[in-house]
Amino acid sequence: MLRQAILVPRIFSFLERSVLGSGERAGGLLAQETCKATCLLCGPQSSSIKRPLHTTVPRSKAEDRKEMLASMPKKDEGTEGEKTIDVDLLSKRFEDIFPDENTPSRLFDGIPYSQLNICDIKATKNNTIISLNDHKGKALMLRSCGMEGFKNTRQGTNIAAQATGISLAMRAIAKGFKDPVRVRVSGIGPGRMSAIKGLSMGGMNVVSITDSTRVSFAPTARARKQRRL
Amino acid sequence: MRHASFIARTVLVQNGNVEQAVRLINRIMGREGFLEQYRLTRYYEKPYQTRRRINYTKCKAIYNEDMDRKIEFLLRKNRVEPYPGYC
Repeated sequence: MLRQAILVPRIFSFLERSVLGSGERAGGLLAQETCKATCLLCGPQSSSIKRPLHTTVPRSKAEDRKEMLASMPKKDEGTEGEKTIDVDLLSKRFEDIFPDENTPSRLFDGIPYSQLNICDIKATKNNTIISLNDHKGKALMLRSCGMEGFKNTRQGTNIAAQATGISLAMRAIAKGFKDPVRVRVSGIGPGRMSAIKGLSMGGMNVVSITDSTRVSFAPTARARKQRRL
Repeated sequence: MRHASFIARTVLVQNGNVEQAVRLINRIMGREGFLEQYRLTRYYEKPYQTRRRINYTKCKAIYNEDMDRKIEFLLRKNRVEPYPGYC
């Protein structure tokens, strides 16, 4: 529907050109009047037309792709916290923020930390997959952006990740996994921050956040060559 | 060497403030160079690119050091004549 609404002005300009000739360019009002005189969509004969007119203007794939990419949200790697400095944090005590030797046995809602469920978030450039696992590693639930209805490019966005987080949290609570959860994030991608936000918005009790991004400072097997765009 | 699960690179959430915890862990990971290293190792960086990058970083560090010294010097407060050359 929206496409037709966008195309209508183009049809007018086509008709305007055909009525006035290629060389002449009438003033705005005159052009509209001549257009209305001849146009089938808005002219005097439009009331007699029962069927809507469907016309398509030739569009190139490159144009469409450019439009789509321009309408997409900006690339977000989910690491906006990198450069901000929280002054309040400096004054707080760091005892409760980082885990220590007592944390695995510390109770959260009556469950020791080491036996809480784990929520693995894999945030890649093109998608975000969230899975809920047992403390032993047994898989309980799995949701991804594609399962939420987003397809292709839209999967690699923070909105999709947030929706996935909310969906998983709500389904987990509905299934009975109401216990506090520790989150483990992997990878840098748009959904890194939004997925966790979505989880907490959906009602999940997030107790800790771990980063398990696979990084090596040592020489590794040769990675694939750079993409040349 | 793998980091100990749920002890290293972990931040506990305080008062249900999940966003603050996420920002904190992102900040620490960024400051310690994990995220940059991840980005560098995604694709292979050819030796000439590595040399270029390292030389650029060295030059930038030298420039920043001297510039910071200059700024610190200019921002000194206990001067004999606060506005030298000003009539």
